[in-house]
Amino acid sequence: MNVADIAGDFRAFGAAARKDWRILRRYPGSFISFIFWPIALPLAFVFQAQAFAGGREDTAAAFAARTGTNEIAGFLFVGWSAYMWLSLILWGPGTSLRTEQIRGSLEAIFMTPASRLVILFGPAVSHLIWAAWIFVVVGLALWIGFGVTIGPFEALRASAVILVATPALYAIGALFAAVVLRFGDVHALVQGVRGLFTAVCGMSFPIIVLPDWGQTLALALPPTYLIADLGAVLLAGTELGRIIGDLAILTGMGVVLALLAVFAFKRTERHARRGGRLAQY
Amino acid sequence: MSELRLEARAAMAIARKELQIFGRYRLNAVNQVIQPLYQTLIPSILLGATFAIDGEAVGLAETAGTTDLVGYLFLGMLALNLASAGFWGVAFAIKRELDAGTLEPAWLTPTRRETFVIGMTIAGLILAVAATIILVLVGIWLFGASLAPRLAIAIPVLAISSIGVLGIGYLIGAVVLRMRDANFFVDAADFLFVLLSGAAFPIIVLPELVRWISYLLPTTHALDLMRVAALDTRPILPIPLEWVMLVLTSVALLLLGRRAWLATGHRLRVRGTLGQH
Repeated sequence: MNVADIAGDFRAFGAAARKDWRILRRYPGSFISFIFWPIALPLAFVFQAQAFAGGREDTAAAFAARTGTNEIAGFLFVGWSAYMWLSLILWGPGTSLRTEQIRGSLEAIFMTPASRLVILFGPAVSHLIWAAWIFVVVGLALWIGFGVTIGPFEALRASAVILVATPALYAIGALFAAVVLRFGDVHALVQGVRGLFTAVCGMSFPIIVLPDWGQTLALALPPTYLIADLGAVLLAGTELGRIIGDLAILTGMGVVLALLAVFAFKRTERHARRGGRLAQY
Repeated sequence: MSELRLEARAAMAIARKELQIFGRYRLNAVNQVIQPLYQTLIPSILLGATFAIDGEAVGLAETAGTTDLVGYLFLGMLALNLASAGFWGVAFAIKRELDAGTLEPAWLTPTRRETFVIGMTIAGLILAVAATIILVLVGIWLFGASLAPRLAIAIPVLAISSIGVLGIGYLIGAVVLRMRDANFFVDAADFLFVLLSGAAFPIIVLPELVRWISYLLPTTHALDLMRVAALDTRPILPIPLEWVMLVLTSVALLLLGRRAWLATGHRLRVRGTLGQH
């Protein structure tokens, strides 16, 4: 691969991202949904937390002891916004491939000389705009609705956590994309994995309340570290140095999952090419 | 009378057709039952555990009058499943007919337009009751919910609520026909309906203005009556008044929904847009 190839891939990457962004803009209804859900979903859990606290000091103290923060709304909003961002990143590449498959354009795309990374992650880049949007909406909702302010240093530390977690999460996204190429529809699998993440990764609770086997399972999943560390840096003002162990684990997971994703995607692509499955759905 | 019997037969045939289609996608069927478990119940139970003192939901006792967090939440699934019958049961069915281009031919049959929604809602209600029974059994066996045998009250409560659910079905049917791509609207409205019904928490924690909207939903009263009977929770209104409100809100929703449905049907036939999707 020479410099011209790399430059070409960058251009293709930008073009793929622009194309998907244009399609997204054509459906203004989705803009409303990206304002509604980042507020409505966590807010429902905030009301629930108020009911479970019952206005008592001992229950609030129990929450603070288990989560490490007094900010109930902050804890829930950060957890669920991370969940929504995760959803976009995890299902983004697979959904893009599936959409191209249904439109009948997947085979044509695979015939171009563009790198597979472009095909997988180019369209998903547009989702990052929505991800940033979700965090902005959540930050504003926390500030206006609950008086929780997130300073520039906390935001920077949170960006660093997100940056470290991104390879692992994109690798899981690529694994899903491989499954899409192999089996076509993966709705049930997506729901199952999403359910697993919701049930054990600590979007609305600290994983300390899980049974031992649940905690072990949670600690084997990258989203657990992302959510816990985002909460720590944004709400408890934790320095990056104190979560360096978590960040190292996330990096390690990223390397292993990325290698696994490359292997799985290459094998699936070969299988799809030989079996003529790229044009089928 | 014979016309009524024919309409009832048509409604049952439509319900059977919807159940047959549902049964053909088994993974989706399983997912419909277990989705509330992992998406709502488990995160809620674990959030409750975060506030627990010595394993007891003492905070919930202050706001709802019971420490049985699991029983409280599992019964809440009744509202979720009932609403889902009215919202998604009808929305999906109409959208499918629109996309397949079969809505216009179906409306050319002598069957009344209201009967289509009745059939779709019956199918949704059957699935809602089945899903709720399975979830409550899971709650009792796996999570140790202690629901009293006084749950027989569910029969009249469900019978009356069904009238309101049919009203929701009419309203959502009208919205889908007008908007065509109404997924976000249906999803958001379903979410708010379930939330305001008190499925996941006692409505006492809602701001007062919002609480008044809750009182206007039949599912709020249906759920509260069931929880009072099964868990001895504090009722949100005096019990006789709750029965009156359940009947009134259900009937009001039915009348409002039917009116919207018929008006929309008329508008589409005049404009000739029934076949569009």
